[in-house]
This record gives sequence, structure tokens and C-alpha cells, in this order.
Amino acid sequence: MRGSVEELPDLVPVAVMPYLGIDAAMAELTRESAAADGYARDMASKRKRGKGGKGGKGSEEPPAGAEDYPPELARLPPGRHGLPREFVTHNQRERLIAGIAEAIAENGYSGTTIAHITKAAAVSRRTFYEHFGSKDECFVAAYDAVMRDLQEKVTEAFESEEEWPQAIKAGIAAMLEFLASEPNLARLCMVEALVAGPAVVERYDAAIQSFVPYFQQGRDGRPKEVLDRLSSTTEEALVGGMVSLISRRIIAGKVEELDELLPDLVEFTLTPYLGSAEAAEIANED
Amino acid sequence: MADRVTPATRLPPGRHPLPREFITQHQRARIIAALAEETVDKGYRAVTVADIVSRAGIARNTFYENFSSKEDCFLAASEFAVKEALRRVVDAASRIDAWPARVNTGLAAFLHYVATEPALARTCIVEALSAGPAAVDRYERSIQAFVPLFRMGRKVAPKGEDLPGTLEETIVGGIFWIIYQRIVMGQVEEIEQLLPELVEFSLTPYVGPGAAKRAAAEPPIQPEKSDR
Repeated sequence: MRGSVEELPDLVPVAVMPYLGIDAAMAELTRESAAADGYARDMASKRKRGKGGKGGKGSEEPPAGAEDYPPELARLPPGRHGLPREFVTHNQRERLIAGIAEAIAENGYSGTTIAHITKAAAVSRRTFYEHFGSKDECFVAAYDAVMRDLQEKVTEAFESEEEWPQAIKAGIAAMLEFLASEPNLARLCMVEALVAGPAVVERYDAAIQSFVPYFQQGRDGRPKEVLDRLSSTTEEALVGGMVSLISRRIIAGKVEELDELLPDLVEFTLTPYLGSAEAAEIANED
Repeated sequence: MADRVTPATRLPPGRHPLPREFITQHQRARIIAALAEETVDKGYRAVTVADIVSRAGIARNTFYENFSSKEDCFLAASEFAVKEALRRVVDAASRIDAWPARVNTGLAAFLHYVATEPALARTCIVEALSAGPAAVDRYERSIQAFVPLFRMGRKVAPKGEDLPGTLEETIVGGIFWIIYQRIVMGQVEEIEQLLPELVEFSLTPYVGPGAAKRAAAEPPIQPEKSDR
């Protein structure tokens, strides 16, 4: 029907927008102030037990057998320890990683100082510099640690399913669950990472691209007419669209809505390989 | 309003017979062009207002008559780019009746704009992400501005309202991500070659793969004026 196109949306007049995430982050921080400590504890206990999946979500259910003492006691006594040096070093490093996550949630990346980090981590400034040369370096370590954890969870979920479509659904669900359960870390990975310098942006890009192979597996065994429809950029576009959707919710502080995205994301990403009917069915089944 | 952001056009000094509004718009466009060029040279963080005024060949006062800060200028550049992109897309697409051909032509106009204004594209799509929270927020909202254009596809889609609510956001996000990658890899000039793939990607959820592929195989209908 020829006629004028639907009216252009009005752009809000340009002004320096308040950072929408701050209020939400502050609310979350008050509600879940144990999250960062829990993360450090979980990381420490995982390292001690070796790789073995951690049950349940994030910090709410520390695995059985973990040393589960309150934060004040989790701090090492000052001075000489009877503990092996390696344990002490790991513990401090992990506290710093958790500390920077907490500090950034409160102050934003630019506003975070080393003093904020050391205070949140309950270590000395000197200890900070034993591990990291700068805030950026500490951030990179935190980013890598969080991404390792996320990728582990996604891979575990993906590999737990025999059929590829269900594997994709499980992988996306695991990612959304992880981000929703750790709002500070979600913001760190997907929002703050982008202002933290080129080294981190590079990692961010690589992390997104790392999801592409999971989708490329969807090409295996498809009939020719399906493969002909796919292009060299199909998986990139799917992953990019998915991440964009998730980022939007995180930026807007709507982390609790992330789980709701699962059916849409599953339908959207499976459609090119399975067709819309089958994709919708899988998206909506339990 | 100057809709081409070209750098070197400087008004002759002295009294101008041109209306004040034209001069102001022209100045703003020139400052924005200078910001974009400095940003691709140095990275957004390293750019200073001094760099911008030097590049634009204006007085520092002139900068501050138009913008309150580097960030303000940056946000204005983003708004300018989005409005101009939307204008070109709507202008091209509104001449077309059929939805698939409309998407083809609209997307062609968008990719053409990106390819012919690489500094502005890099500034608004790549550098924006590391320019601070306000810029990231604006970037995300800019993506949203294109959503209504795709939402119209639901009227022609057999499944119409059964389509996922977030579909348009995901399509636009995916297209922007691909463009982002190409800019980062230094391949922005070739971005128009991706048109058929991106058209197929966008149309398939609405009209199915067969119709999407057919539409993508057609050359886009060119708007009457060249290079708008």
C-alpha cells in the first residue's frame, strides 16, 4: 500500500543522560551485598576442590564442603600465615577480583579507584600492587575470571543435551541464568567492559564471537535447501542480535527480566536451521 | 540542513548573505565532522576540544557556542547520524510498495550511508561503546530507533502477531553487530556487498526463506536522486 511510512520515532533531545544502570545497581548492591564475597568464596573453593561443577546459582548456594565462614572471618589475619604461599596468593587475588566487581557496581568504572577496590577486597594497597600493576589490569583479570566461569557453565549445559536444538536452548538458558543471578558481574561483562580500554574491548569482541561455533554446529546434517539459505554472516548476526538484546536489558537495569528472553531467543536463533514452526515449538516447550 | 558531513567546506570569512540558521547548522555539521575525524585518528578518549577546533578550523568560542563539552558534541554527532540515516532509509523505502523490496532498498540506503561516511560510522558505532555510559545508552537507544521500520513486516507476515516480541530488536542488533565487526576489521567500504545476506536475514522471519532469498536477489530500487 503506497503511503507514508509509519511515523519516525521521536528521539529524546540530546542531553547528558543519567546512567540508567546506577540506581538499579545500587538497589542490587544493597540487596545482594554478599554476592561479591560469595563469588570469591566460590572461586576459592572451586580451585581447592578442582574442577567439578558447582551446583545451583551463583552465590546463593555455596557447594557442599566449601569453607563457608562469614566475610569477616574469611579475611586472612595480618602478618605471617601458616598457610602455603600459593593459597594465600590465590585467595588475595580472588578477593581483589570480587572487590573490583563490587567497587565498579558502586562507582562505575571511571569512578572506581584502587582505594575502592582494596577496601572492598579487604586487602592492603601493597597487596594490590603485588598482583596487579593498575586498575585496568585488575579489571582484565576480573573479566577473564567471570568469562571463564560463564563459558564453563554454558558449555556444560550445551553438552548435557544430545540433540543440537535442545543443546542451544540449554546453553542460552544457562547464560541468562548466570547473568540474572549475578547482576554486578553481568554489568561488568557487558557494559563496564566497554569503557575499560582496548584490551578489554578486544576480549569482549572475542567472547561474543566465541558463541558462533555453537550455532555453526546447527548446519551439520541439514538438507541442501536449508544450507543454501544460510550465509557466511548468519551465525554472527544471530549472536550479535542476541547479545544486543541482552545488553539492552542489563543497561536498563532490568536484569530480572533476562529469563523472559529465553523463548524469543531460542525461536530466533533456531529458525534459520529448523524453520519457524519447529523453532517455535522447541522455544515454547518446557 | 547540511546532510553530507564533508570536512573541508569552510565558509568564507566576513559577513555572509546567508541566514544565520544555515550558518549555525553548517558549523555544527563541520564540528561534528571534525570530531569524527579526530576520533578515528586518536580514539575517542584521547581527543580534546583543542583537537576538534583545530581540525574544524574554528575558534574555541565557536565550539562552545554550539556544544558544552566533548561529550556533548559526541552525543550530538550520534543524534545527527541516526536522524540522517533514518531520513535516508525512509526516503528510499517509502517509494516502494512491496514490503520485501522496501526492506531491500531501505537497507541498501543504510549500508550506503555507512560506507560513504566511514569516520562518522566508526565514531557512532564503534567508538561510542567506549565513550562512557551516556554514549552506550544512546547507542542502544539508536538501535531502537530502527525497530519500527521492521515492525511493519508483521502486517505482511503469515504468522504476524505470533512472531516473538523481541524479533525486530534482535534483527537490528544483529545487523549493527555485523557492521561493527566490519568497521573494526577495516572492511567498512565493502559493507554494501553484504546487502543480500542482510536482507535475507531480516526478511526470513516475516516472509519465509524462499521469498526472502528471492527479494535479496533483486537489485535494490535506486532513489531518484543519486547519492542522497
